[in-house]
Amino acid sequence: MPQNETVQELGLDEYKYGFVDKEQHVFRTQPGLSEEVVRQISAHKEEPEWMLDFRLKALEIYESKPMPNWGGDLSGLQDTLDEIYFYVRPQDKMEHSWDDVPDNIKDTFEKLGIPEAEQKVLAGVGAQYESEMVYHSLKQEWDEKGVIFDSIEDGLKKHPELFKKYFGTVIPTADNKFSAMNSAVWSGGSFVYIPPGVELDTPLQAYFRVNQELMGQFERTLIIAGEGSRAHYVEGCTAPAYSTDSFHSGVIEIVVEKNAHFRYTTIQNWSHNMYNLVTQRSIVHENATMEWLDGNLGSKLTMKYPSCYLVGEGAHGNILSIAYSGDGQHQDTGGKIIHAAPNTTSSIVSKSISKGTGRSSYRGLLQVHDGARNAKSNVECDALLIDETAKTDTYPYIEIDEKSAHIGHEATVSKVGDEQLFYLMSRGMSEEEAMALIVRGFIEPIAKELPLEYAVELNRLIELEMEGSVG
Amino acid sequence: MSTSAQAAVAINEGVTEALNRSAAEARAQGEPEWMRERRMHAIDIYERTPMPTTRLEEWRYTDLRDKLDLASLTLGSRADVADDPSSWPEGVRAAMAEDRDAAAHVVLIDGTVVHIDLDESLAAKGVVISSLRDAVNSEDSWEEAKQYLATQAVSPEHGKFAALNAALYLDGVYVHIPRGVHLDLPIRVTRWVSTAGAAHFDRALILAEETSKVTYVDEVLSDDLDAHTFVSNAVEVIAKDGANVQFVQLQRLGRGAFAHSQQRTLAFRDATANTLNVALGATTGRLDLNAQMLGPGSSSEMLGLYFADGDQHFDCNTSQDHVSPNAYSDLLFKGALDGDSKAVFRGIIRVHPKAQQSDAYQTNRNLLLSETASADTLPNLEIAADDVKCSHGATVGQLNEDTLFYLMSRGIPQERAERLVVMGFLGEIFSKLSLGGVVEKVTREIEQKLAEV
Repeated sequence: MPQNETVQELGLDEYKYGFVDKEQHVFRTQPGLSEEVVRQISAHKEEPEWMLDFRLKALEIYESKPMPNWGGDLSGLQDTLDEIYFYVRPQDKMEHSWDDVPDNIKDTFEKLGIPEAEQKVLAGVGAQYESEMVYHSLKQEWDEKGVIFDSIEDGLKKHPELFKKYFGTVIPTADNKFSAMNSAVWSGGSFVYIPPGVELDTPLQAYFRVNQELMGQFERTLIIAGEGSRAHYVEGCTAPAYSTDSFHSGVIEIVVEKNAHFRYTTIQNWSHNMYNLVTQRSIVHENATMEWLDGNLGSKLTMKYPSCYLVGEGAHGNILSIAYSGDGQHQDTGGKIIHAAPNTTSSIVSKSISKGTGRSSYRGLLQVHDGARNAKSNVECDALLIDETAKTDTYPYIEIDEKSAHIGHEATVSKVGDEQLFYLMSRGMSEEEAMALIVRGFIEPIAKELPLEYAVELNRLIELEMEGSVG
Repeated sequence: MSTSAQAAVAINEGVTEALNRSAAEARAQGEPEWMRERRMHAIDIYERTPMPTTRLEEWRYTDLRDKLDLASLTLGSRADVADDPSSWPEGVRAAMAEDRDAAAHVVLIDGTVVHIDLDESLAAKGVVISSLRDAVNSEDSWEEAKQYLATQAVSPEHGKFAALNAALYLDGVYVHIPRGVHLDLPIRVTRWVSTAGAAHFDRALILAEETSKVTYVDEVLSDDLDAHTFVSNAVEVIAKDGANVQFVQLQRLGRGAFAHSQQRTLAFRDATANTLNVALGATTGRLDLNAQMLGPGSSSEMLGLYFADGDQHFDCNTSQDHVSPNAYSDLLFKGALDGDSKAVFRGIIRVHPKAQQSDAYQTNRNLLLSETASADTLPNLEIAADDVKCSHGATVGQLNEDTLFYLMSRGIPQERAERLVVMGFLGEIFSKLSLGGVVEKVTREIEQKLAEV
């Protein structure tokens, strides 16, 4: 008993959102992945024939591609994949009113602070519980503006032509092994369409949550930002902790039309046994701007490289990435920018913090195609190391086929300076407070780009993770 | 050794009529048993190692299927050339005429040492400069050669081509500087390649004892070659405690050559091992350069300069290993690219666990002078200690328009203004190097390349 108390008192590395709801599902597939599973998913979703064909072809491609031998350690992944359920459907119909949402799901959201967010009249909250949207609300004015913010399934049902025109065009099935897997078994995610000229001041928000043990989540999001539109989509993820490894592999496709401005923000805080392998890509047209704001705090291994394909003249891509790796975690993240048109500009800023036995890797690709005249790009990577056992890597691939390109890359690695700590402590701070303040200062350039609630959440999460980091 | 179970089967990729086990056996004729064993061990590894492909990170941007045709090559054999300048090719005499003062001269033709001279006062102090062949074969064998040749620095385990060189090297240069001896003037080595269509293999082993000091300038050159020719070179630098070694390589081979140089420097406590690699010639140039900071206080400054034009392809693969704490390394590679040429830079700083207080820097800068030139650069960091100062940077760009405009507004014609800017860009490397002869040669060669634009 005394022993238990001590452990509880410490509670240092306890996963803060490690609560578990009683499972309540209507249908789930057999564990593992097979043609049968793919057919079941498609049948359950009552999909058109072309989507079933699309899924089956994707399964073939998935099976033909080898497991990546770069990035993080994927050696234990196959065992996980053989055990997880590729599709779980929690309830039958979509909910549109908060009152209709089942209590146990509400309870989960409450712990995550969603109702407060709602109270603040935060735009639309599309919350993904397990594999499908269960709660969805859209501000009336957006309906009036013609904005579509649906679950991906409803997007396919209600807007088949728009859906088919863009689905799978940004990230082809065969792009990589996990985009192929997602294409075979995708379930849940958002379908967003912003009509030309529409500007949204408040962000579209979706809260993702994986709840059931041994369940993979394969959300698929398709976003079309029409010509001259302006919007911000925020996705946050938390998941309960389990003893066995879990798996998440999403595909996010974004089309940013001429003169549009779109920002996609993710704060990922999966539990520390999660494999998080995500493909995120945007096609950016003439004079449009795409911004990725990517925060990676949780998971056991994340491999995620948001990308911008700058295909229209004057397109701009911006990637802000922050990673936090604690004990046993590996964040292999970064970004990709492809300059395929003249006068395109881009910037990548990456900041990482590694603590304990954590490892943060920046992996980036910067490509300037022949003919993309006057492309300009700058990449900056800063890594902060908190313990002598922490590791950090930087792998910036730079491929330039155009003379007039201006490309720069810089990276620094440092530890929290003794002088900085000493100064703050001489002002009366505890070592722990001083450390937290320095870390906050380090991530500030990225945190300040977040909507307020998320900046607060990010800071709180990092503070929680930093507890007990001194000594 | 590091031959794992799965690599135990000979797959024989790159084993040809000329490059094979019996060729290694033939090279071992008349050599001591330990050398024969070492060659056999190397050919074992060569046979078992797959040919590098672009799937390998280190060969990602150089596809050997397009660049190297091993099957077409004969094996270079000993050159029958007298130790007399009048019997050497004109190119050798011309290169040497420009070398200023030297502590020693060594001349190799097709990998065979044909001449060595060494300042007598240095010989009296125990400085040894000999052909590698003599070092290996001499009865009272230099034990150090046996200890270090293809074992600790560039061993067959360092890759397919390191193994091939260790198995088939013909000759090379052995340098041993005794404890505390300083050479004020450089050792100048001129390596000439005359036989086209062949594979030539040579090596250098530079052993600097405690607190000694030496500069070694290696120039490899040829006329344009009318057949695909492979020039393989391995350089091993051992800088013991407090020693200071500066190694310079100037590659001016003719078109038709595939020049490969694999270099590794070991710097022990408080030792300095600096390198400068200049690539101007050959059709394909590949440099594998690794600096090992093995003792506290060790340091390595690694400079590189390349100017490619036509269809030249230069690939620099560098690494800085901070094994010991309190060490320093700084890499700066700069290059200009013209015509359809391509440059690849892949560098990595590895700070090993416990290598605290490491200072490590890495910079690659490229200037694109033509629409069709391209540059791929990949400066990597792998850091496993927390108390370090590390940074890296890479840039790719064209001539600065403002600078050009300024020069032209002062009445300098555009062509000349462009040359001035290019020379200014590359000049940063020269400013770090004060070796008589080298700067002039490089400057002239680059001026020539610029004039052909």
